[in-house]
Formats: sequence, C-alpha cells, structure tokens
Amino acid sequence: MSEREYDDEEFGKRVARRLRSVEPFDDRFEVDLVAAIRADRATEPNVAVRARPLAPAWWRTPLTLHLSPLAGLAIAASLTAIVSLGTFVATRSQVTAPAPTVAQVTHDTVNVVRFVFVGQAKTVSLVGDFNAWGAEPVSLTPVGTNGTWTASVPLPSGRHEYAFIVDGRRWVADPFAPSTSDEFNTSSSIITVGS
Amino acid sequence: MTTKTDAELVAAAAAGDVDAFAMLSRRYRDLYTRFAVRMVGNRDEAEDVLQSAFIRSFRALGSCRDPERFGAWLYRIVTNECRTFVVRRARRERRIVRDDATFQAASVDPAVDARETLEDVEYALAQLDADQREAFLMKHVEDLSYEEMADITGVGISALKMRVKRACTRLRELLEEVHDV
Repeated sequence: MSEREYDDEEFGKRVARRLRSVEPFDDRFEVDLVAAIRADRATEPNVAVRARPLAPAWWRTPLTLHLSPLAGLAIAASLTAIVSLGTFVATRSQVTAPAPTVAQVTHDTVNVVRFVFVGQAKTVSLVGDFNAWGAEPVSLTPVGTNGTWTASVPLPSGRHEYAFIVDGRRWVADPFAPSTSDEFNTSSSIITVGS
Repeated sequence: MTTKTDAELVAAAAAGDVDAFAMLSRRYRDLYTRFAVRMVGNRDEAEDVLQSAFIRSFRALGSCRDPERFGAWLYRIVTNECRTFVVRRARRERRIVRDDATFQAASVDPAVDARETLEDVEYALAQLDADQREAFLMKHVEDLSYEEMADITGVGISALKMRVKRACTRLRELLEEVHDV
C-alpha cells in the first residue's frame, strides 16, 4: 500500500467515525409500514373493495345530533348493524375476489407520500380514493406531544383525493392542499403524485 | 422476540402475512437506517426511502431466490431506492436540507479527531456524486468488504476502489476548503 493509499485509508476512517452515529427509527416505523402495505393492497386492481364499495358519502357529511339516552341506544344498535353489514360486504368482496398475491403485483414505481395532520385529536385516520374512502383506513400515528400526526402511504402516480377523519367522526379536508367538493358539498383535498 | 429464520419469515410474508414482514423489517431496519440517512442527507426523507424500499421488497418477495440471504437482497433494494431518490431529487434541484434532529441525535465522541465537525462532514458528503458517496459509506461507515459491495451494487471491485479513492480525495479537498474559510 502506497503512502497516499494509506493516507486515504486513514482519512476515510477518521471522517467515517463522524458519520457512524445515527439514532435508529423506533417501532412506529413498522406500524407505518404495515399500514402502508395494507393501504397498498387496497389500491391493487385485483382487490374488489377498491372503488367506494359502500358509496359512503352520507357519513362524510358532518352531522351533530342531540339525543336522549334511550334514543342513543337505539341508534347505536342500528349503527352497529350498519357497521356489521359493511364488514360483511368487505369480507365477501375479499373472498370472491382473486387473492392479491405478490406475483400479481405489476407496479414498477412506488411513491411514498407522507400525510401530516396537525391538531388536537384522540385518533386521526386518512381516507381517500386510494383506500376506497375508508374500506381500509390508514391510521395516523402521533409524533411528539404537539398534536402532529403522520402516516406514510404508497400511492400510484396520478391525482388522488383524500381527507382526514378526526376522532372517528369529523371530516377534515387538508387546508394546505387544493380542494374539491362532491355532490353533497363535502370538501376533499387533492394531491398529485409523480411527475 | 421471534426465533423464526429469515427464510421462514420470507415464506410467510410471501404468502401474505404482513406481520411476518414487519418482523423482518424490525430485524433489518436498524442496519440500513444509518446508510439511508447518510445517503439522502436527512432523517425524514431517509425514513420515506426506507419505507418505500421495504414496500417494494414486500411486493417482490416472490423474486427473492435465496431467502436465507434476505438481508443482502433487501440491502440491494435499499441501495437502489436511495440512488433513485437522490437522482429524482437532483432533477427537482432541491438542495439537501440539514436535519437538525439527526445532528442533535448524533453523539460526539471526544476521542475523535476534532478537525472536522459532523456538520462539516455532512456538508462535504452531500457534495459528492451519489456513486462516490455510496461507495464511501459502504466501505468506511458500513465496513463492508469490496466483495460485499460488488455483490450489492453489481459494480466491479476495481471501479468501487476507484470510487472510494475519488470520494476520499474529494472529501479531503472539500474539508480543507471549509477549514480555509
């Protein structure tokens, strides 16, 4: 080894020592990863639940109800039935559709989009045309204590509409993104992915 | 803590078991975090790149011909994803932004020569061509042999040695410039 090569080797090692220390990601990485893979599956063309299976525009409209306890119980029972029906429909779709397998995947690009919601909430989830408007909602993970929530979602290139569901009931469009409205005048946000 | 082998977890994940894939991710994530952070230059984007690479690998598990060497196979995907990201970012002409969290998290070893600060080295590293940065990181930060580097990158050993050499030369020049300011 020449003197110059020796110098390069020593120089490289010395500089590299500065670069060795990086704090690892925590287990939130896998939480996001699993959610992203499940959301990714929901965008697969082979999955039957892809396109708004329940056309849930009615529940996207914000509602405020004032109920007596008895009426509340009755409505809760009805809602349980509706949710069960939704589960049944989704399950049946998955059974009758071709099972999504790795071999059937044809994507050649991955665009991972990080969604960020800032605000006080107990839960935040992401719905959009990419997950059949909540057929497989993506849960956002709180980051720190200042009310920041994030989720990373793989999206195909193109235009997508999305919104956040706060505390399981409040529909919130992204104030920093272009918006669009549906026939019920409910606002959603628009993101365009890819070049 | 699972005791399943990589091959067992790969088989389960390829059959659709996302939790098995999460175990593989947990097993290898830390190994590749440092490389990704140093390649792309900041922590948030590195996390996105790793997520993207891991999702890509989940999709492609069927093509993992040697599941016992899943880690090396995954490393190739991570490396490619970092390259793609860096090229795309260069096309967008976005400058590399320093990630304060990364710098704060990095411990300072008092035994290390104090001539270069971490910030200096990060700056210089970001100025290298992506090929040189990748080779330098693999050789001197990840302590890979040239044979391992060739296996991961598909580049010949002679070419890799040249990249590391040029990276060292360029880093030295850049750091001297910093000190001369």
